[in-house]
Amino acid sequence: MADVDAAKPPTLSEQYFLKGKDKPVEDVKTPVATTVEETVVETVKAVEESPAVESSDPVESSETNEAASVESAEAAPVAASSEATPAAESSDTAPAESTEDAPASEAASGDDSPATEEASEEAEAAEDDAPKIKLETAPADFRFPTTNQTRHCFTRYVEYHRCIAAKGDDAPECQKFAKYYRALCPGEWVDRWNEQRENGTFPGPL
Amino acid sequence: MIVLEWLFLTIAPCDAAEPWQLGSQDAATPMMQGIIDLHHDIFFFLIQILVFVSWILVRTLWHFHYKKNPIPQRIVHGTTIEILWTIFPSIILMFIAIPSFALLYSMDEVVVDPAITIKAIGHQWYRTYEYSDYNSSDEQSLTFDSYMIPEDDPELGQSRLLEVDNRVVVPAKTHLRIIVTSADVLHSWAVPSLGVKCDAVPGRLNQTSILVQREGVYYGQCSEICGTNHAFMPIVVEAVDRKDYGSRVENQLIPQTEQA
Repeated sequence: MADVDAAKPPTLSEQYFLKGKDKPVEDVKTPVATTVEETVVETVKAVEESPAVESSDPVESSETNEAASVESAEAAPVAASSEATPAAESSDTAPAESTEDAPASEAASGDDSPATEEASEEAEAAEDDAPKIKLETAPADFRFPTTNQTRHCFTRYVEYHRCIAAKGDDAPECQKFAKYYRALCPGEWVDRWNEQRENGTFPGPL
Repeated sequence: MIVLEWLFLTIAPCDAAEPWQLGSQDAATPMMQGIIDLHHDIFFFLIQILVFVSWILVRTLWHFHYKKNPIPQRIVHGTTIEILWTIFPSIILMFIAIPSFALLYSMDEVVVDPAITIKAIGHQWYRTYEYSDYNSSDEQSLTFDSYMIPEDDPELGQSRLLEVDNRVVVPAKTHLRIIVTSADVLHSWAVPSLGVKCDAVPGRLNQTSILVQREGVYYGQCSEICGTNHAFMPIVVEAVDRKDYGSRVENQLIPQTEQA
């Protein structure tokens, strides 16, 4: 991440105005098709096994490269997109840049295959920057329009366990309730309620 | 932009308290901008009334003089003036009340679905933050404690009694839901630049939504007296680019998933 800033650190006034930056921000929303753990672990493997310049696992790295390059080609600004896609194709020289989301500064240092050490650094930076986190959380619920969200959390917790009770464990349609209550309830509360459910003293309508 | 820099017209917003500071810190959210605007709005009326009332008062004292006006006027009743001094203040009050309520209700309202939820849990005397949007089980969670950096510890450039060891990192230009609660006594999660002040009540979840408009580091302090170290549990919010936020969360999640 450090080298992203290295080329030209934006001044405060630039950050304040931020004209063109709205577009690349979007790619956080469009994650790679593979899940978080898989892709990251794969890239970690690839980096560890190979000395970063030549990728010994072409299958795995090319997978991630393609996925990332498709994404970056969609979302990257005009200058960066032309750089990012060829990098993915010539993947044995520098796989790092292609997994990179290709911001402008990165593209500047681009394909010219820098020193080995730099490349490996960038490979690390690349797996840092490739956004696989999906920014989403429990939506606003109009049953609970007020500041006090205590019942919102509680209701989501009850809803999840009722859903589980009705449709069985691992029912896919229940998972969203689990996400909601985990997003809303403090972990301490969830632990306490789980304990109470085990003891049969949970106060809610299960 | 570069031209502005040449002219030394760079913007350096104030996001923490300064010595001898008058007025608010610079706004980083629409809410804080609204608060500042309302303040200026009201100040317009305030100064007008101040000038008018002091003018009346000084004039009265000036003319109430045993030589110039040996026999003072004694008005005990005047319908016209009574109507006037009823109508005019109520109009002024209306001009103050309308923007005030507009702001109040817009603060209350949750307009859009937030993108992330952060739980701020007050303890005596530190804060715990939970990022649980990315959990896949009840146990695994991105949780950390945020303690103040002790008085003899800060490095050069850090603010005394304001810096913490673990900042809350949030994405800028994103709708955030902050859920504030407490594990022991009343606390309050307040950040002036963000226009947020939300009480932390044990057993209750208070929600406040913010939209940080620019990247930066914002400082706040506990605003509900909570015991001996009430003054020593500050809040530091660091707003970063969305992409950086994503990679940061990811980095913190990877060790956890590997452990699990």
